[in-house]
Amino acid sequence: MTLLSVNGVTKRYGGLTAVDDVSFDIVAGELVGLIGPNGSGKTTLLNILSGLATADAGEILLADIPCQRLTPEQLAHRGVMRMFQLTRVFRRMNVIDNLLVAGRALGLDHGEALTRAHALISELRLDAVAALDAGQLSGGQMKLLEFGVCFMVPPRIALLDEPFAAVHPTMKEIMGAFIRARHAKGQTFILVSHDMPVVVELCPRAICMNAGAVVIDATTREVLNDARVIEAYLGGHAA
Amino acid sequence: MSAINVDLAVNGFITGLFYALMAIGLSLIFGILKIVNFAHGEFYMVGAYAYTLVALAFGVPVWVALPIAFLVGALVGWATERTLMRPLYAGYTSWGLMRDEYAVIVTFGLSLFLINLVDKVIGPYAYRGPPLVETSRVVLGPVLISGHRLLAAGIAIAVILITAALIKWSFWGQQIRAVSQNRLGASLAGIDTAKASAIVFMLSGGLAAFAGALLSPVINASPDVGIFPAVKSYIIVVLGGMGSVPGAIVASLLLGVIESFGAVYLSYQYRDAFGLILLMLFLLFRPQGLFGEKGREV
Amino acid sequence: MTQPATPAAGAQLTTTKTTVEFRAALVAMAIVALIPLGVGNPYWLGVLIVSMYFAILAGGWNLLAGYTGQFSLAPATFAMIGAYTTGLLGTYYNVPPLLGIVAAVVVSGLVGLLLGRAVLRLVGPYLALTTLSFAEIMRLVASNTIDITRGDLGLGVAGLPIGRLAWYYLFLAVLVVLLILFYLLLRSKAGLFLQAIRDDEVAARRAGVDVVFWKTAAFTLSAAASGLAGALYAHFAELVTPELGLIAQTGLILSMAVIGGMGTLAGPLVAAFLVYVLSEWLRDVGGYQLVVFAALVVIFARFFREGLWGLAKAAVRRWRQA
Ligand SMILES: Nc1ncnc2c1ncn2[C@@H]1O[C@H](COP(=O)(O)OP(=O)(O)OP(=O)(O)O)[C@@H](O)[C@H]1O
Ligand SMILES: [Mg+2]
Repeated sequence: MTLLSVNGVTKRYGGLTAVDDVSFDIVAGELVGLIGPNGSGKTTLLNILSGLATADAGEILLADIPCQRLTPEQLAHRGVMRMFQLTRVFRRMNVIDNLLVAGRALGLDHGEALTRAHALISELRLDAVAALDAGQLSGGQMKLLEFGVCFMVPPRIALLDEPFAAVHPTMKEIMGAFIRARHAKGQTFILVSHDMPVVVELCPRAICMNAGAVVIDATTREVLNDARVIEAYLGGHAA
Repeated sequence: MSAINVDLAVNGFITGLFYALMAIGLSLIFGILKIVNFAHGEFYMVGAYAYTLVALAFGVPVWVALPIAFLVGALVGWATERTLMRPLYAGYTSWGLMRDEYAVIVTFGLSLFLINLVDKVIGPYAYRGPPLVETSRVVLGPVLISGHRLLAAGIAIAVILITAALIKWSFWGQQIRAVSQNRLGASLAGIDTAKASAIVFMLSGGLAAFAGALLSPVINASPDVGIFPAVKSYIIVVLGGMGSVPGAIVASLLLGVIESFGAVYLSYQYRDAFGLILLMLFLLFRPQGLFGEKGREV
Repeated sequence: MTQPATPAAGAQLTTTKTTVEFRAALVAMAIVALIPLGVGNPYWLGVLIVSMYFAILAGGWNLLAGYTGQFSLAPATFAMIGAYTTGLLGTYYNVPPLLGIVAAVVVSGLVGLLLGRAVLRLVGPYLALTTLSFAEIMRLVASNTIDITRGDLGLGVAGLPIGRLAWYYLFLAVLVVLLILFYLLLRSKAGLFLQAIRDDEVAARRAGVDVVFWKTAAFTLSAAASGLAGALYAHFAELVTPELGLIAQTGLILSMAVIGGMGTLAGPLVAAFLVYVLSEWLRDVGGYQLVVFAALVVIFARFFREGLWGLAKAAVRRWRQA
């Protein structure tokens, strides 16, 4: 069953086409890698999918219901959760409260939210810092916390924007295990990453963007061996 | 244009010049720190007192008292930057979130502090500054104007032009503009951003104080004399586009003229409300100001 | 069911924090309730009544600025709007004071709702400037529509047939009711949502918080509380003037919240008493009170961001450890 269907989505900033006629479908339970050189439009696409930017053209269907006009909070209630490339947490609230915000906002009662928060904290190995304000966490711990926020109420689709960037290998391991475990239980993901070994390991399927457009959408092996992808990355490095 | 309209236009224009002296500094500060300095009016007040007291108490000639007022204002600006503004950029990462409220509280508090300090130390009474020249009436065609006002207007034009030229062409002017555009990039390029901020505060304090000195024979120095011109400069930086110096100059002149005509043709009582209403409308519907381009979203 | 991990159990939830602060505030209010037993002097009772007026304003502003991060510079204006609502209704339509006070709450709440909606997208300096202009425009209107408001002379308002002591307990009762209301609000999920919005609006939206609703609600509530304070004060002083809406009044409210500790339930309330009573007392010994408080605001903002409440908390912690 197609969970998310993106049809001809385009976004322009002035003369620049950040997302150029992008189309793809994602079936429930898939874990799709979204790759592409810097500035290829990955974050912009996630912004559109999560309601933070509006597409200039195209259509987005979530379980066959159009949703390109919805606000981020409405999308959150419909099960679209996203992690930001530049980590966003509530810096002056402690780790548990950060999790409670998402839980309560999405309709859990206090007791249930607290139970889930504690479970996530131990799963993400944040026990030692649970009492700290989020602003006092390390960069990697903040990412883990943001993971937790996205999964207080398991979303229908999780959009992860470079969760592994600048994260210590140990934490990367925790995140990888977290993603794998959820995926095994049927969680749907789009995972943006520059870390090719991780993409190869986690994602059966990958989409590569360049200059706003989809270059190829196939199995990860095929994508990484595709001449256009190599060209895009080399071109990206040369520029 | 009838005689009265010429008179209104000329007088509005001159008022606008004084506004510009105030607003340029506020705009520069917004440019470089992205904050509104709510103590800006007190820089003006300090200048009005410095000029008046130095001239009256010590008998210093007005032409010396004027630059002294500038220096005193620059000193206050410098001290403000040194003691209160550093946390806004001195590597306090967790301040990122707090910086807006910190800036409002601290500058608001500084404003209250200076007003009440002067009120206690010097007293609540108003002091009239000595005019630059005693000629009370100069007739220029249909326009009647006091000698002091005319001379002050000329000086204001000169100071505005010099300031604009310094910002555009001088070494530090270029550094300041670089920091305003991109603080991080500028610091990576080896620009001393702290020093640039200090210079902006000195210039800003000096200009506002200079305006206070120039106007002290017209609007007498009193502890809360700065509130009024400060509100005007808030309006101007919004109309001109927050942080834009040319925008601030044009908006100053425009506001001066609008108020001058509005007071006669619309309502004298509400002459001070026009600008405030414009400010609200602009911030709500056109936050980039009259000339600015729409910025990036999110 | 898994047991919560132990270290996390030591974390203090926002709700717990709020409860601690609420208890402290109640203790402070209990002390205030006992003061008239020892102090009969009507002058000092009057000072305390005005302190309570400011405590309501500081508390209301703290809800908006301290908890929600919306730095409005118009709290005094809403008090002025409330005061004029009941004053004008009484003068022109013979509306009895109690009804006038209710109307004041509704009107100032509505104006707050509209302003809150209008400034929804504005942050930081932009919000401060817009609300400051709103404040000044309202004050100009009040002082210039002389035919109706009698301008700066002020509008005479009916008093209530009660003595000073009764006024004292009336103000205290209102203050305590508001305190309980704020406590119930902040202890619920609303407390979490407001603080989340303050810290990061985009992240709050991502988490599913209805930011538009909660920001507007905070604005409305805060304005209504200020309007209530203003209306009560109008009948207490039997006079309304545009001075109620002076920026300097907002400065005083802001000082109280900053010195007490923004974003804490007890801090601003207690600081309102300390600041106002001390300022009356200092007035007798040289009149440097406003200089001192302005300096304190700057010093607290610069060095003790959590205010007196934060200092007290740190002191208690040190004492427990020793
Ligand atoms: N709000 C905006 N205004 C103008 N241009 C924008 C905006 N957001 C993104 N862009 C531009 O759109 C293009 C795509 O940016 P985007 O952030 O989506 O790339 P990305 O694939 O996520 O890159 P990276 O791997 O570096 O994160 C870039 O050229 C960027 O400058
Ligand atoms: Mg990106």
